[in-house]
Amino acid sequence: MSTYARPLEVLIDELGRLPGIGPKSAQRIAFHLLNVDRVDVSRLSEALIDVKDKVSFCERCFNVAEGPLCEICNDPSRDHDVICVVEEPKDIAALERTGAFRGRYHVLMGAINPLEGIGPEQLKVKELATRIASEDIEEIIICTNPNLEGETTAAYIARMLKSFDMIKVTRLASGLPVGGDLDYADELTLGRALEGRSAL
Amino acid sequence: MKLHQIWLTDFRSHADLSLTFSEGLTAVIGPNGSGKTNLLEAIGVLSRLRSFRGVSNDRLLRREQPRAIVRAQGERDGRDVLIELELSSGRSTVFVNKQRLPRNRDLLGALRVTVFAPDDLSLLKDGPSVRREYLDDLLIALDTRNDAVIADYARVVKQRNTLLKQAKGRLDDAAELTLDVYDTQLSALGERLTYLREHVLSALMPRVANAYTMLAGTECSVVASYRRSWEGDGMLEAVQEARAQDLARSTTSMGPHRDEVSLRIDEFDSRTEASQGEQRTLALALRFAGHELVTEHVKEPPLLLLDDVLSELDEARATALLTNLPVGQTLITSATELPASVRPDAIVRFPIINLTTLDTEPDQVVEVLTDG
Ligand SMILES: Nc1ncnc2c1ncn2[C@@H]1O[C@H](COP(=O)(O)OP(=O)(O)O)[C@@H](O)[C@H]1O
Ligand SMILES: [Mg+2]
Ligand SMILES: [Zn+2]
Repeated sequence: MSTYARPLEVLIDELGRLPGIGPKSAQRIAFHLLNVDRVDVSRLSEALIDVKDKVSFCERCFNVAEGPLCEICNDPSRDHDVICVVEEPKDIAALERTGAFRGRYHVLMGAINPLEGIGPEQLKVKELATRIASEDIEEIIICTNPNLEGETTAAYIARMLKSFDMIKVTRLASGLPVGGDLDYADELTLGRALEGRSAL
Repeated sequence: MKLHQIWLTDFRSHADLSLTFSEGLTAVIGPNGSGKTNLLEAIGVLSRLRSFRGVSNDRLLRREQPRAIVRAQGERDGRDVLIELELSSGRSTVFVNKQRLPRNRDLLGALRVTVFAPDDLSLLKDGPSVRREYLDDLLIALDTRNDAVIADYARVVKQRNTLLKQAKGRLDDAAELTLDVYDTQLSALGERLTYLREHVLSALMPRVANAYTMLAGTECSVVASYRRSWEGDGMLEAVQEARAQDLARSTTSMGPHRDEVSLRIDEFDSRTEASQGEQRTLALALRFAGHELVTEHVKEPPLLLLDDVLSELDEARATALLTNLPVGQTLITSATELPASVRPDAIVRFPIINLTTLDTEPDQVVEVLTDG
C-alpha cells in the first residue's frame, strides 16, 4: 500500500512504532511535520539526538541523569539513610513535587508483570539489594503504583528484604486512588500518603 | 440515573439511531431481526462496560466499521448527565459530560440495569461460570467497589497462571518468591470474593423462593448451595497444598474462579433434573430477586430491560411478572403487540427508517470523540 512518497512512508512507520501512537496519529503527525518550517523540524531532530547523547540512566538509582550520577544522587544535602523505591523515573518527578521527601531514590524500571514477560530479573531488584548491602540505609519506602502489579512488586521486595533485618520497610499509605498511577495522584494526596506510610 | 435519550452510531445493526424514553414504561415493538435486542445490549454496555451477550467489542461494531458510539443523556440527583462511550476493537473510551474518565470502571454504578432476556435459561443450563457471573454482576450493582475485588482477583489468577506456564514445571528463586506473593494475594482476594458471594447468595435466596412461588403459582422450595473449590479455614493453606499440582498443570485450581452455585427446586437439581418450564421460571425468579435486592440497597431502582420476555411466558406468568416487578423506568421489547394488561407510556416501532440522516456527514460530536 505505497500511497505516499517513500520518505513520508518511512516517517509514518517510525512514528507508529512509538508508544501510544497508532497508525492514524502517526499519519497526522507526519503530515503536520511536512507542513511546518524547516527550522522547527531541525530543532525537534536535534532534541531527539541530544537526549540520546546527553541523557542516560543514573548508575546508582536509574533515574535519568546527565552524567554518571543523577542530580539527586549528586546532591549532598539529601538524606543518605532512606531510599524511596519507584517504578519509573517519572514517579520521581511526582514525588519531588510534593517536597515531602528528602531522601534518595531507586528506580525499578517497571513492575512485576508475567503477562508482559516481566519478572524480578528484568527489574533493577538485584541492584537494590546491592545498594542496601553497601550503603548505609535504614529505611526503604516502597512507592510502586497502587495497582495490582505495583502491589505485587511491593510485596516481593518486602519479602526479599526480610533477610536484612536492620532495615525498616514501609509502603506508601493508602489514600491513593486504587488502580491508578503514581504520577496521576495530586501532590497533596501523595504528600499525605508519604507521611502516613505503614510498615510492611 | 434516569435515561432520557440514547443515540447509537454503528452499534451492531444500528448505523444511526436516536430514541427518546419515557419516565415509566417504554415499549419497543418490531419484527424479529429489527435490532431490538441490539438496542438493549447497547444500554447494557453503558451500564457494565461489556455485553450481556458475553461477546467482545469486535462483535458490537457494525460490520466493516472501525468503531461504534453509544451516547446517552439522562439525569442523576437532579443533574444532567451525558455519557459517551466509544468502542473499537479491544478498546473502550468513556466520556462523562465531555470529560474523559481516567479509568473506565469509574463509570460503573452511574447507570444500573437489570436484564431479563430469553437466553436467561442458560443461567441454569450452562456451566458454573454463568452463575458466578450472575452473583458478581449483583455484587457490582450493590456496591461498585466490589468491582475492584472481582477485577483484581481475575488479574491475579491470570498473572499466576502465566507465571506457572513460564516456569515449565520448575521454579528458580525469583519465580518461587513471586509465586509466594501471588499465593498470598490470590488467597486474600479470593477469601474476600468468596465471602461476598456467599453473603449475597444468602440474602438473595428467600427472595428467589418467593419469586418462584409467585411466578409458578404454587408453593415450592428453592434452595441454593455455594460450593467452594477449597476446603479448610484459610484459602492460603489450600493454595499452597495445591502448588505442585498447579505447577504441573500450569493452572490455578483453588479459588472462587472454580466455585459452583447449585440450585434445587423441591429437592431436584435445577440443572439436571428440572423441566425446561421449571428452569425458565427459576431463571426469571433469579433476575427478579436480584432486581429486588438491588432496588432495596440503592437510591434509584435499576433500569429494567425486558427483552422479548412475553414470547417465552404463558399469559399467567407474564402478567405475574409484569404486575409484581418493583417498577422504575422500564424498557420492554416485543415482536408482537403487548397484551391489554400492559399499558406503556410510549411505544417505539422498529425498524426506524431515518431518511433525513442518510447520506449526510457524521455529526460534530462524532468528530470530536474520534480525535483523542
Ligand atoms: N455487528 C453487526 N453489524 C451489523 N449487523 C448486525 C451485527 N450484529 C448483528 N447484526 C444484525 O442485527 C440483527 C439482529 O438484531 P436483534 O437486535 O437481535 O433483533 P431483534 O429485534 O430480533 O432483537 C440481525 O439482522 C443481524 O444480522
Ligand atoms: Mg431479540
Ligand atoms: Zn541517582
